[in-house]
Amino acid sequence: MNLAAAPAQATEQRLLARLADLSQRLAVSIDLEQTLAQVAQIIAESMDAEASAVFLIDEAQQRIVCRACHGPVDISGLSLRLDQGLVGRAIARGSCEIVGDAHTDPDFAGRTLDARTGFDTRSVLTAPIMTTEGAIGALQVLNKRGGGPFDAADADSLRLLAAPTALALNHARLTQVVVQQNRLRRELTMARRLQRSLLPKRRRGAFPLRALNFPAREISGDFYDFFELPDGRIAFTVGDVAGKGLDASFLMVRCASLLRWAGKEGLPPGQWLARANDELMEAIAAGMFVCAVAGYYDPFRQQAVWANAGFPPLLRVDRVGCFARFEAEGPPLGILRGMSYPEQQTTLDGAALYLFSDGMTDVRGDDGEVLGVDGVQHAVGEMRLLPPEARLRALVRRLRRMTVTDDTTLMVVEGEAPALLRIEFPAEARQLMPMRHAADAVLEQQGVDAELRAALVLALDEACANIIRHAFGGGCGSGRIELLIRREAEALHFVLSDTAACVDPERIKPRDLNECRPGGLGLCFIDTLMDAWKLTPLAGGGNRLWMVRRLDSANSHVIEHSPTALDAGASIA
Amino acid sequence: MNDCQTLSEAGHTVVRLAGEVDLSWSAQVRQAVLAALNGGGPVAVDLAAVRYIDSSGIAALVEGFQNARGRGQRFVLVAVSAPVQAVLKLARLDRVFEIHESLEGGAPA
Repeated sequence: MNLAAAPAQATEQRLLARLADLSQRLAVSIDLEQTLAQVAQIIAESMDAEASAVFLIDEAQQRIVCRACHGPVDISGLSLRLDQGLVGRAIARGSCEIVGDAHTDPDFAGRTLDARTGFDTRSVLTAPIMTTEGAIGALQVLNKRGGGPFDAADADSLRLLAAPTALALNHARLTQVVVQQNRLRRELTMARRLQRSLLPKRRRGAFPLRALNFPAREISGDFYDFFELPDGRIAFTVGDVAGKGLDASFLMVRCASLLRWAGKEGLPPGQWLARANDELMEAIAAGMFVCAVAGYYDPFRQQAVWANAGFPPLLRVDRVGCFARFEAEGPPLGILRGMSYPEQQTTLDGAALYLFSDGMTDVRGDDGEVLGVDGVQHAVGEMRLLPPEARLRALVRRLRRMTVTDDTTLMVVEGEAPALLRIEFPAEARQLMPMRHAADAVLEQQGVDAELRAALVLALDEACANIIRHAFGGGCGSGRIELLIRREAEALHFVLSDTAACVDPERIKPRDLNECRPGGLGLCFIDTLMDAWKLTPLAGGGNRLWMVRRLDSANSHVIEHSPTALDAGASIA
Repeated sequence: MNDCQTLSEAGHTVVRLAGEVDLSWSAQVRQAVLAALNGGGPVAVDLAAVRYIDSSGIAALVEGFQNARGRGQRFVLVAVSAPVQAVLKLARLDRVFEIHESLEGGAPA
């Protein structure tokens, strides 16, 4: 072994150990600031320098910035022009710069700093941090301990230390990107959770409305909502904001709350959408619009009424498999102020009404063909006999097998059993007799005995007469009454709806039958003959009287057909 | 079908009703009953051919009954059909009115 080689070998071995140490520390570090501080410390120690610094290029600012340092003076944050100082020179040249005495070098930029801090910069060694995209910064060591300048061997050593630093910086930068993406994803997840929290909770039991929403991405541009009005009707909205992503979902949140706010007043659907449209016009970005449906379902009358602003057609499917399609009659919301939205309606006697966003019609099958309204119609037609929950699950299963490309929303309004009778007639006294005969015939078909039939028909007649006399003030004008008779198991439900001005239910109380006076008897008859009844003024106009009589009820009041004078053949002689 | 005749029988002014008495013509029944009472003599309302009566028809009878009592006039219902009887009972008026099977020697029903 060459004797002169011994100290050099020792230096190399020490450097190797430092390099291994540095590489290992850099490999486990994911925090950029911490990594840089470690680099500064390790290079100062390995290179036997009084001070060290790590400079990185700030691309945005076009400056070289000291990101970490080690030594008696803290220069972190020091910022230089790209062509400034010994650092700028090393970066520009892409090579190591060895300076024996900084103060004699015209590029040395630390004169003022030295004067201010009392640090005396003498020898300087700068190595650029090279990546595939060129220099991204530089390592610098100052004042070799024991005096004397840095030499070529020192330059090689610093270059050697710069290599894993470059790798670690790249690694740290990528990690930062991933961390940022993760944060963004977390924020999107929170936005989605917030969005989902706006959707109404699923109701248990036999609630007639059910809805589903699958966003195409984390967040949705579709929305649906439903809520009950005090009069028992269920207000519903479904919407689809043009576009996907954040701006669409913000507009979705805005539009959903706008529609909810306007719907609480019970406005007729046409006015409801018109108001939401005008409000939306106040602040909507050009080129954005919302397709939506807003309406009410009255479970007592089994009637749905709505207005449609550019949303796909509504489908009504009954148990036999007959279809009705209701196309949109109004333009989308947010395009022009002062638009009108015609009202549409249907009854759901034993039928279901489907509302679906275009995400549903745009799904693609294995053959690449989109499902289309016809496809949706075919699917719900096939499943019409399934119970509502099972039917929704089956529809979802079918959708999941296909390629969903857009936010998809589906709402189903489920009617009860078909009505036994649904008639509408002018609010006039001469309409009472045909109404009584129609009701009697239907009740007879249901096997209701003659005495109970007479009682129920009397109650219906009294209710209609009260509407004609009191709600419509005598029956002149264009008022109309709708009578619906429905059977649910052993209960007969009677629903009378009118278009008269709202009546205050507090003022409608049956009087004491022990008084003998001519007026107020009708309500007593209703109260006695029915098991329960309720008069409800409807938001937006009209009233609804609901009456029920159980066929197995303890109520013994009927219209008796016991033998009386007539049956005994009595007559006036 | 629906019919309201006023005639004189067995010393009474008889208002004979037929058909279904409801809001569409109970005002006419009320007028006929009050007109009969204005004659000053005993009044009978014959309900044999009434298949249906609602509260407005009952109200016309109650008003007649109250008017007659105020003036000390006789006011009876005769040949009350089963449907009318049932409604009177429902209104708890079956014990209020004087009811006869027929005008001729009829005992209270």
